[in-house]
Amino acid sequence: MIEWFKNIQWEHLYDPQLAWDSLPFLLDAAKITIFIALISMFFALILGLFLAMARMSNFWFLRWPARIYISFMRGTPLLVFLFILYYGLPVIGIQFDSPITAGIVGISLNFAAYNAEVIRSALMSVSRGQWESAAALQMGYWQTMRRIIIPQATRIALPPTFNIFLDVVKGTSLASVITVHELLYGAHLIAGRTYESMTMYITAALIYWVICIIIGHFQERLEKRYNRYLNKT
Amino acid sequence: MIYVKHLKKSFGENTVLESIDFSVQKGEVVCLIGASGSGKTTLLRCLNLLELPNYGSITIGDQAVNFSGKKLEKKELKELRKYSGMVFQGFHLFPHKTVIENIIEAPLIVQRRKRDSLVIEGEKLLKKVGMFEHKDKYPDSLSGGQQQRAAIARSLMMNPEVLLFDEPTSALDPQLVREVLRVIEALAKEGQTMVIVTHEMNFAKRVADKVFFMDEGYIVESGNAKDVLETPKKQRTKEFLQLLSE
Ligand SMILES: Nc1ncnc2c1ncn2[C@@H]1O[C@H](COP(=O)(O)OP(=O)(O)OP(=O)(O)O)[C@@H](O)[C@H]1O
Ligand SMILES: [Mg+2]
Repeated sequence: MIEWFKNIQWEHLYDPQLAWDSLPFLLDAAKITIFIALISMFFALILGLFLAMARMSNFWFLRWPARIYISFMRGTPLLVFLFILYYGLPVIGIQFDSPITAGIVGISLNFAAYNAEVIRSALMSVSRGQWESAAALQMGYWQTMRRIIIPQATRIALPPTFNIFLDVVKGTSLASVITVHELLYGAHLIAGRTYESMTMYITAALIYWVICIIIGHFQERLEKRYNRYLNKT
Repeated sequence: MIYVKHLKKSFGENTVLESIDFSVQKGEVVCLIGASGSGKTTLLRCLNLLELPNYGSITIGDQAVNFSGKKLEKKELKELRKYSGMVFQGFHLFPHKTVIENIIEAPLIVQRRKRDSLVIEGEKLLKKVGMFEHKDKYPDSLSGGQQQRAAIARSLMMNPEVLLFDEPTSALDPQLVREVLRVIEALAKEGQTMVIVTHEMNFAKRVADKVFFMDEGYIVESGNAKDVLETPKKQRTKEFLQLLSE
């Protein structure tokens, strides 16, 4: 135990100078990470909303495909799915113009399933009385959905949706495996060149952390806004 | 104003309304009484089309809909619903909107009327139900009685020919019941046509022109409020009123 501790090469544990010097390069890569995460989450939310509504539909030919889709995406690793898209599809002649596109498509399609489940349970948690009082006031389905149900469901869905968003941000690191030049890929490049793996990966981790802290801050502000109508007594 | 003929409603095997016939004239206040499970709520919900009847016909205002057999037109149903407003036992205000936003929502969205004039009209109505000083509060910070008065104002904003009330005070603490009943009585004085499901017999005596007693899917006895409540003719009505007064 003590022997092991004495043999640690402290200069390789963390090299602040190297970290500082690589920071501009890593931050550039982090931009790609943020870009992929934002775009993917955007599409995953829209697709998730439609999946949720299909899943709740009265028609089996909408309900069942949505169910199977959600089950498949939740039951298979994102990394495997990215491999299928990027290395598998070219076999049948479908090729993405860049790894980034493949990454965005894969992450969007995969996380849409998680969003769908969150959106579905949030929509269902709005009481039937809200639908009925809106109907009695002659509001139609979409008017009620847009003005009454979705705003209330949003408040409920906000925390779990942000959890998914954090998973998306961290999930983008898997795209490094299909050669997307995002944050982890950047750290990996420098680590390979300098052999300072510990320094580079810790720095990358810290950058992911900061991104997630900023997102958490947004979440807090949004939650405050959506909670203002709740009487806290 | 309202004509209901041979109205029937079942949930699967369970026939709740066997055959309902009645009419309500303009300006009349009708109280609907009957034991728990006798179908009062179901009848009211049929009038507002929150439930679709299986058979019979409903006429409110200028719109008649026949539910027997043939396929129903969405337009007909929409038109019929325009003539009635519903006040629920549980208020069902929109929690994410303030009182004033609650009551202008439907005219704003459904009738596409101008916000400014709606706010003026809404504030006037809120004064009438004694809710003006609470107009910018969210429902969650109001008492049940206040919420119910706001809900009544919300229904009135759509100018329905008939207001339907389903036990408007039975979810309220006893000390809050009167403020709501007073609002309903004031509406009755103004000649608002209303159908009210209630267990408050004293209130029914004060406010109702007619009383309908429901039992096992039929309106068993109907007539002037005083007659039905004080000198009922049918045995079932007597038993029901007897039980209540004990
Ligand atoms: N959506 C529904 N599905 C199935 N059965 C229903 C439904 N709504 C009402 N019922 C049944 O219809 C019957 C009458 O119910 P309803 O609520 O109309 O009675 P009520 O006279 O309003 O009673 P209460 O005084 O308790 O409010 C009950 O037996 C109830 O179980
Ligand atoms: Mg009832």
